[in-house]
Amino acid sequence: MKDKCILLIDDEETIQEVVQVGIEIEAGWDVAIASSGAEGIEVAQAQKPDAILLDIMMPEMDGISTLSQLKANIKTQSIPVILLTAKTQAADKKQFQNVEIMGIITKPFNSMTLASRIAKILQWELE
Amino acid sequence: MMERVGEFQVEKLLLQAIFERSWEAMIIVDGQNHLVAVNPSASQLFGSSTEALIGKSIFDFFPYVLNWAEGQNIAEVTIQHQNGTTQTVEYSQVEEILPNYTLLILRDVTNLKRAVAEELHLQHQRIELFSEVTLKIRQSLQLKEILQTAVTEVQRILKADRVLIYQVLENGTGRLISEAVLPDYSPILGMEFPEEVFPEEYRELYAGGRVQAISDVHSQDPGLSECLIEFMDVWMVKAKLVVPILQNIKSKTAKHQAVRLWGLLIAHQCETTREWTDFELELMQQLADQIGIALSQGELLENLEELVAERTANLQQEINERLEVEAALRRSEEQLRLIANGLPVLIAYVDKDRHYRFNNEAYQTWLGLSPNKIYGCHLQEVHGQEEYKKVEKYIETVLSGKQVTYENDTTFQDGCIHSVNITYIPHIHEQENGEVKGFFALTSDISDRKAIERMKDEFISVVSHELRTPLTSIHSSLKILATGKLGNLSSKGQRMLNIADEQTERLVRLVNNVLDLQSIQSGKITMNKKACKAMELMIEATQAMQMMAQEHGVKLFAESVNFVVWADRDYIIQTLTNLLSNAIKFSPPKSCVWLSATMETLENQNIKQQINSYVTFAVKDWGQGIPQNQLENIFERFQQVDSSDSRKKGGTGLGLTICRQIIKEHGGNIWVTSTCGVGSTFYFTLPTVISILEQ
Repeated sequence: MKDKCILLIDDEETIQEVVQVGIEIEAGWDVAIASSGAEGIEVAQAQKPDAILLDIMMPEMDGISTLSQLKANIKTQSIPVILLTAKTQAADKKQFQNVEIMGIITKPFNSMTLASRIAKILQWELE
Repeated sequence: MMERVGEFQVEKLLLQAIFERSWEAMIIVDGQNHLVAVNPSASQLFGSSTEALIGKSIFDFFPYVLNWAEGQNIAEVTIQHQNGTTQTVEYSQVEEILPNYTLLILRDVTNLKRAVAEELHLQHQRIELFSEVTLKIRQSLQLKEILQTAVTEVQRILKADRVLIYQVLENGTGRLISEAVLPDYSPILGMEFPEEVFPEEYRELYAGGRVQAISDVHSQDPGLSECLIEFMDVWMVKAKLVVPILQNIKSKTAKHQAVRLWGLLIAHQCETTREWTDFELELMQQLADQIGIALSQGELLENLEELVAERTANLQQEINERLEVEAALRRSEEQLRLIANGLPVLIAYVDKDRHYRFNNEAYQTWLGLSPNKIYGCHLQEVHGQEEYKKVEKYIETVLSGKQVTYENDTTFQDGCIHSVNITYIPHIHEQENGEVKGFFALTSDISDRKAIERMKDEFISVVSHELRTPLTSIHSSLKILATGKLGNLSSKGQRMLNIADEQTERLVRLVNNVLDLQSIQSGKITMNKKACKAMELMIEATQAMQMMAQEHGVKLFAESVNFVVWADRDYIIQTLTNLLSNAIKFSPPKSCVWLSATMETLENQNIKQQINSYVTFAVKDWGQGIPQNQLENIFERFQQVDSSDSRKKGGTGLGLTICRQIIKEHGGNIWVTSTCGVGSTFYFTLPTVISILEQ
């Protein structure tokens, strides 16, 4: 499973870095980074990652808008998306009832167990 | 013959003497009514000499013809005197004293007549006088005035020097209570007398109606007591007249009336001794009787006046009290009105027919509705059909006797929509079988509160995100470092890294708890309740805590149960793990923590819930226990038993508060029982599915 590629769409550079390092150490997967929703859509179209970690709260285009564009685009609509949210938002589950997501991971999370959580959600088998 | 002649001569002389010397006037008239003989008394009566009268007709003097025929030989006639005056005479006649001669005997009764007439006149005057005095006495209803009138009038009529009324008191003593006295004599009004002056036997005599008319106080006849004579001398009294004043008293036992000696009416003569006339006696007696009547009436009147005065006083008091109550009510009402108008809320009273009966000024300032104009109007008329339909169900609730509170949006007169909190409080009439008479409507503007709540939520949302992102980075970086994949640290460095990692985890928990609590308390969270198997919740929670239990050397046990509860799975697991985590933390190594659940019914418990049956979960530990006085406190924020606990045990001080909030959202209760040194058991209840279905 070392050939998995995860796209992280998050505007926070430190998050980008710890997620990238954590996943690489834990699972050896590639982590592509996008700092905004628009960039994320571009990268998703270009690289076709195995899964997308999408932050909800971002300037300009937020996670939900990004998600709807990803799902509207034929090239990206089949890529499973896992939302990264603050806990308060996760608690209000109603707002995610009508969006096509595979799961929610709430911040703060431990990047060293992130790959396991993704695998569990997407039912991948980790070595 | 000579003897016969002698006898005749004597007889003639005798008759002559009688005729000449008689006091009666004698006249002999002939058959033609001419005077033939007139004696000196007749001559005097007619005021003419005998010679002048002889030969005159009797009718020259008598105004009418004497009725000889009817034999009325005694009659009164008025004769015309020679000098023009008239005389009233009685006369008698002897007819045929000699053949054709009549003897008339006349007596002058003019003076006698006059005396009788004068006496009659006097009597008439006295009657009038008496009536006058009686009238005067009766004119007043005041006893003092009556008595004064009586003495004044008696003094005036009798021309006595002093007239007194002496009142006999219950104990036999007495007092002078009224007096009319001439200026020459000193007044003795108000003087009091010991019983000896007027002893019992005297009082009895007077009570029997005795009247004493004493012409001379020093004479032996009246038999006055010595001390009384002394008094008489001191006051220079020479004669006195005493009549009793008797009063009819109604006996309570007997039907007839009894008489009692009330006092004496006394007239004094000081100048000289005085013979009291019958008239004076009578007058005094009659006046005393009048006083007696007046006394009885006066007493009745006094009683009546007392009653009237008492009733008037009572009425006045009642009126005063009522006035005071009314004034207090007005003050209270005014204060209430001021308070009602001063409060920044809408206050209204609505009757059971849904008409406004009171509105405070805020109705004018907030909604532009004048309290005077909407008074008596139906709610629908004031607020419109649409608005009325929205609140009708709450009105029905309050009119059924239940208080109700709800939130609504209302357009104020400035055109802005305000959030309002409305409470309807039923006005229940306790005396009329709890009938609902109407309700009070209290409406407060909660727009500001709502705005602040929104701001707070936004703030927390932002802060939560802003805190979480660096926390995630720190947390993840530390975890990556701890793997050693990026190079090994010295043992001290590793120790420092572990501290940073533990404390970061604690910070994460704290932030999570703060945000959890805020979310639940704000009501922003809706519990996603479903039917859950209690056993599954218990297993999941114990599994989650297994690692921690192992770290602490504590064994976890979950009792096997078969209940279904109505709960939000995630939040109940959070509650259970929180309680288990506490139990593990405070349990000594090698001890056990028990998790169990029992189904209970309401009858066996004191807990007041609206559900019929519920499941009680229990988490039991063998830790140090909680002091009795802290059993309630520990559910409050940051209220650990020992403040050092949170640092030692890595707690946040919010766990139990969150648990209580979660259980409250489920309609359950949470509590703890504990024995110091033995351990604690935390309980919470959740409704069963059956009870939910029943609702």
